[in-house]
Amino acid sequence: MAVAIILGGALGGSLGRAAAADLNLTSENLTPYRTCTLTATPATTTSIIDSNVRQGSATSNFGTTTTMLVSSSGAANQRVYIRFDLTACTVAIPATATIRLATLRLFATVLPAACRTVDVFKVTATWAETTITWNNQPFGTTLNNPPTGSRTDSFDIGTPVGCQNLTANAYILGADVTSDVAAFVAGSATNFGWMLRDDVEASATARSSTYATKNLGTVNRAPQLVITYVTVP
Amino acid sequence: MRRSLSVLPVVTIAAAMIGAATSLALSSDTIGAATTAAGRCATAGLSVVQTVPTTLVTTVTVGILPAACAGGILRVAVHNGITSSEGTATIPGGGGTVTVTLAVAVAVTVAEQTDVVVSGP
Repeated sequence: MAVAIILGGALGGSLGRAAAADLNLTSENLTPYRTCTLTATPATTTSIIDSNVRQGSATSNFGTTTTMLVSSSGAANQRVYIRFDLTACTVAIPATATIRLATLRLFATVLPAACRTVDVFKVTATWAETTITWNNQPFGTTLNNPPTGSRTDSFDIGTPVGCQNLTANAYILGADVTSDVAAFVAGSATNFGWMLRDDVEASATARSSTYATKNLGTVNRAPQLVITYVTVP
Repeated sequence: MRRSLSVLPVVTIAAAMIGAATSLALSSDTIGAATTAAGRCATAGLSVVQTVPTTLVTTVTVGILPAACAGGILRVAVHNGITSSEGTATIPGGGGTVTVTLAVAVAVTVAEQTDVVVSGP
């Protein structure tokens, strides 16, 4: 009886220490993020779409042009529509992911001489790249609609010193669309993309900023949506 | 009595082994304690921007790195569905922005996945 107790105690204690040593929890701080970068190219026929609507050509479609303008000009205003299909990401973004940052990036080729504010609005109705026009656009033809207060984000663009984006032939710093993308991923909103318009349309002096579209076919000037997220908050 | 004594060591050894196996099962209490020790230096969003001179991603610039990440190792891996490439850089004092050069340039496709991990500090 005594033998059994000693033997068991020795083995049990030895194995118990070995198991504890194997755990060896030498922790290293890790901060993991995952990013999906969506790039619009001519090949993205339906997954990424962009178009321009022009008040001065109210019934024409400009879905295949190589540039798109945000313009404030009397009765010749112009707006940009753009949509990225989030399911195109190489690894699907889980519906439970926490979106840390989503940035809409456009390559500006021509800047206005005055610093202008461009508003970014979440689109709430469907549209198609090759059929959208000024007259049938989701937000309608009323100028300065939707109101500035409902915008997702905005950025300043123009050549004057002090403007956020004052360099031509460069990507803008980006519009923060994190809240919209989070809603798309979570399923609480449908992804119809974004509309960009001048904060104050119908300017007496024409003010326009020009951006490359996917149809330009130049990869390093293509519209992008960059989504950074974590799967474990 | 003799018979029962000879069986006891075997039973005890088996019990000890079962005990060892049980201790290898990482209970949540033990892991929980380790997780508490391993904090993250960043919890908000990081900006991740590819540099594309022509059609290939050559570097990745990671911005909005908090000062708490200074001294940590920034590891970046880009995957376009076909090709993968990695690079590392040390995060300078104060955090900020770090550009990581990829070992091999990766072609731009409709979507690239970029994994960013800060090890340490």
